[in-house]
Amino acid sequence: MKKRGRGIAAAYYGTGYGNGFPDVSRARAEISKDGNIFIYIGATEVGQGAKTIFCQITAEILGVETQDIHFVCEDTSQTPDAGTAAASRQTYNSGNAVKKAAESLSQRLMEQAQNHLQLNSVHGLKLENHWVYLEDFPKKRVHFKELVKEDTLIVEETFTAQTVKMDEETGEGAPYWPYTFCCYGVEVEVDTETGEIHVIHGVCAQDVGKAINPELIEGQIEGGFAMGLGYGLMENIGLSKGEIKHNRFANYLIPTALDVPELEKIIVEDPSSTGPFGAKGIGEPVMIPAAPAILNAIYDAIGIRFYEIPVTPERVLVAIKDAQKEGKE
Amino acid sequence: MISISLTVNKQVYQVEVEEDLRLIDFIRDKLMLTGTKEGCGEGECGACTIIMDGKTVNSCLVMAFQAHGSRITTIEGVAKDGALHPIQQAFLDVGAVQCGFCTPGMVLSAKALLDENEVPNRHQIREGISGNLCRCTGYNKIVDAIELASSYIKEGQQDETSSSGRQ
Ligand code: FES
Ligand code: FES
Repeated sequence: MKKRGRGIAAAYYGTGYGNGFPDVSRARAEISKDGNIFIYIGATEVGQGAKTIFCQITAEILGVETQDIHFVCEDTSQTPDAGTAAASRQTYNSGNAVKKAAESLSQRLMEQAQNHLQLNSVHGLKLENHWVYLEDFPKKRVHFKELVKEDTLIVEETFTAQTVKMDEETGEGAPYWPYTFCCYGVEVEVDTETGEIHVIHGVCAQDVGKAINPELIEGQIEGGFAMGLGYGLMENIGLSKGEIKHNRFANYLIPTALDVPELEKIIVEDPSSTGPFGAKGIGEPVMIPAAPAILNAIYDAIGIRFYEIPVTPERVLVAIKDAQKEGKE
Repeated sequence: MISISLTVNKQVYQVEVEEDLRLIDFIRDKLMLTGTKEGCGEGECGACTIIMDGKTVNSCLVMAFQAHGSRITTIEGVAKDGALHPIQQAFLDVGAVQCGFCTPGMVLSAKALLDENEVPNRHQIREGISGNLCRCTGYNKIVDAIELASSYIKEGQQDETSSSGRQ
């Protein structure tokens, strides 16, 4: 028989290294003598979209297009260290470093423009399309190229996250900043003959602070959900005496395109006071509620609570049998 | 050594290969077409997918000599005259690429599917790429991309028949 059930799960997750551990990102911004804009940062792109959003952040501050930014990352001989692409920290931590670097480049450009245009101060100056101009009197303007033709402009900035180590005795402290929140709902179908579980629909609501790139966020949610689904239903490393037995795709199963449901994605924006434009990291949070929501839905479908994952067909069949036996006794 | 002749991306090759050379190594190491990826080397992940005589195969499971006389398309042969194939364009347009390691295989599986069935439904698309594992995207955006590619290809054909050409 096929039985359906629904379940939800919510999570909150502290991003960054946390617990007072130094969490530092550095970024360098440059305008070369020919007017080209460069960002150098050691942040690693693994497909999550860091490169894209760092260019967006820079472009926003300097009033140019994202494709105007020459972006150099990962190469440690050229870039300042920005920590690992881990702990869901690149958007928040390195995003802040990039933003600071772009802001101080903007400040330097305005100071040079003040001199060049013989103004009293930098107030009222705007950056747009590679020009610095006075908003109230736009004729007073100078091109970036003119300002850097003698010397390349170089600035470097550092962002260090604020976390406080927990007191070992009392457990008090502020170990993470910021936190990210999410809630997923799923519907599953359990085949009581074969033990197979099919997730047929999912809804994912994810707090992101501020969505710098909604398309990339959706991609992270989709990917995180699939990883969480695999974690809950099929992925088993088969640890035995410290040795991983399931060490290949033939015996360590991960979801295929037929295993994942269509997802409804809800991006919740509630800007974080210390994030770049209010943004927070979501890399890991998007994974977390999937497995517990699925397990709750299984309970709703067949009335059995599983306390061990993955909930494989074999485990489902054994549990159904045990429940029937108990029912008879 | 065995001498074989085969066509890869419309180019004919006459070559001598070792008996134990796998097709994937021939493609990557001899032809230097490194767009074909090796994820597992045992037929599970589909990263090494190529099209051989109209059908997708895992090039890690085929010996080079078995490809004698065949016509092969790798990811390098999908774009035409410097313009992206509609499937590649659709992958870019919907954001169906994250780390990109599965992407060449996905594009070729999609191509084989669309060559046979121009307007597949979403379930048929899922089946068509079920031999290609992706750890990043959760697949849905890839399914979206293939659906979009199917509409691009249809539009392209309509434009051709009305001889206006795509803008
Ligand atoms: S490398 Fe051929 S299927 Fe994985
Ligand atoms: S995009 Fe990374 S494996 Fe598919």
